[in-house]
Amino acid sequence: MTVRKGDPTAGSAAVVCGIGSWLPSTVVTNAQLTERLGLSDQWIRARTGISTRLIADRDTLTSDIAVAAGMKALRSSGDSHVQAVVLATATSDRPVPATAPLIATQLGLPGIAAFDISAACSGFMYGLAVASGLVASQVAERVLLIGADRMSTLVDPQDRATAPIFGDGAGAVVLRRGHAGEPGAIGRMVLGSDGQHRDLLTVRTGEGSPDPDDDPPSCRRGYLEMRGMQVFRHAIERMSEAATVALDAAGWSMKDVDRLVAHQANARVTSALAARLDFPLDQCASNIEHTGNTSAASIPILLAEAAEKGSLIAGHRVLLTAFGAGLTWGATTLVWPDLKLAQHDDDDQTPE
Amino acid sequence: MKKGILAMHEILKEILVTDLRITDTDILPDASIEDAGLDSLALVELAMAINNRLGIEIADYELMDIKTIAQIVTLMEERTAQV
Repeated sequence: MTVRKGDPTAGSAAVVCGIGSWLPSTVVTNAQLTERLGLSDQWIRARTGISTRLIADRDTLTSDIAVAAGMKALRSSGDSHVQAVVLATATSDRPVPATAPLIATQLGLPGIAAFDISAACSGFMYGLAVASGLVASQVAERVLLIGADRMSTLVDPQDRATAPIFGDGAGAVVLRRGHAGEPGAIGRMVLGSDGQHRDLLTVRTGEGSPDPDDDPPSCRRGYLEMRGMQVFRHAIERMSEAATVALDAAGWSMKDVDRLVAHQANARVTSALAARLDFPLDQCASNIEHTGNTSAASIPILLAEAAEKGSLIAGHRVLLTAFGAGLTWGATTLVWPDLKLAQHDDDDQTPE
Repeated sequence: MKKGILAMHEILKEILVTDLRITDTDILPDASIEDAGLDSLALVELAMAINNRLGIEIADYELMDIKTIAQIVTLMEERTAQV
């Protein structure tokens, strides 16, 4: 990975100006999984840091939860209009067409640019780069970027490797054209991939059988397979490398960072990442204990929650990083802007 | 116990305490991985820490066969000798 040199605060940029999230109301506790999987609460907590994950109703679609989060983000931005909707997801409503056009229509924005991107748990980071590109290429003055995943549709409920980890959720941000030096401006994006390791985290459909030299997957065919130890190692290595490059591009060191906001893959990944970056764990934003891993939605959900709780405040220097299937990864920086948060009590769009 | 092994055991203990935040400093060579407070993810972290400090590569498939602290020490000893 190389860094283009230059003043990171010069020129135009996409600037975060609204945020919103949606989480299901159905809570699945570790005790419920103990019954199904034979894993104790203590075992699950020790290996994942997760106590509960939230699961959407069977009839709720990714588009439904994306609209709910998107509507909140638009409201938070103070303007219901955007010229593009980008959805990062691994669980599109249908293989064809993309889900974003329906979301745009349901938000009362027919006719605008709308498409999905597929980068699994790194989808939101890829989406930030795509949204920045849409602003730079003058497709849009304002972009709605949504990360939404219904991972419960991909996870084998009997699989000990994945069932305790994943949950459903959606998070969204609105980005507007602005200046690189202002709060909320997305810094230099660092993105990467490595298809050589696609089997570490995958859903096999028609094509391909597992390598006979590999251990058999712990899930049934057609569900999400995860090779936890390898994924853990790659997650820490890739996110720490990408984060270091993004920091360098911003002209920051780890000492300048107020909050590390990493994809909520597993609490153990976050703590190992913090240790590797020599960053205090108590300055790492975290909500995985009650949400589980919500894939592409995890970073915007976490940002919204931290901002709402006041643990993330205007002026904080934030380092964002994510890692997911592909393999894919990404990182960037921003100074947290002064946002008006959409209130829960005026939430009139509950998909369930 | 051979001198090299003994020294490597001390290095491993140092890594466990410093990098993996293991509080029990009295880790015996024949302790099982579980007794030393390591699960599969901690083993991966340990392999990364060993690589970081000593430049020794331990692959994930090798980690899956490790049952005791002594096995890690032996692996470290063999790899150091090769460097």
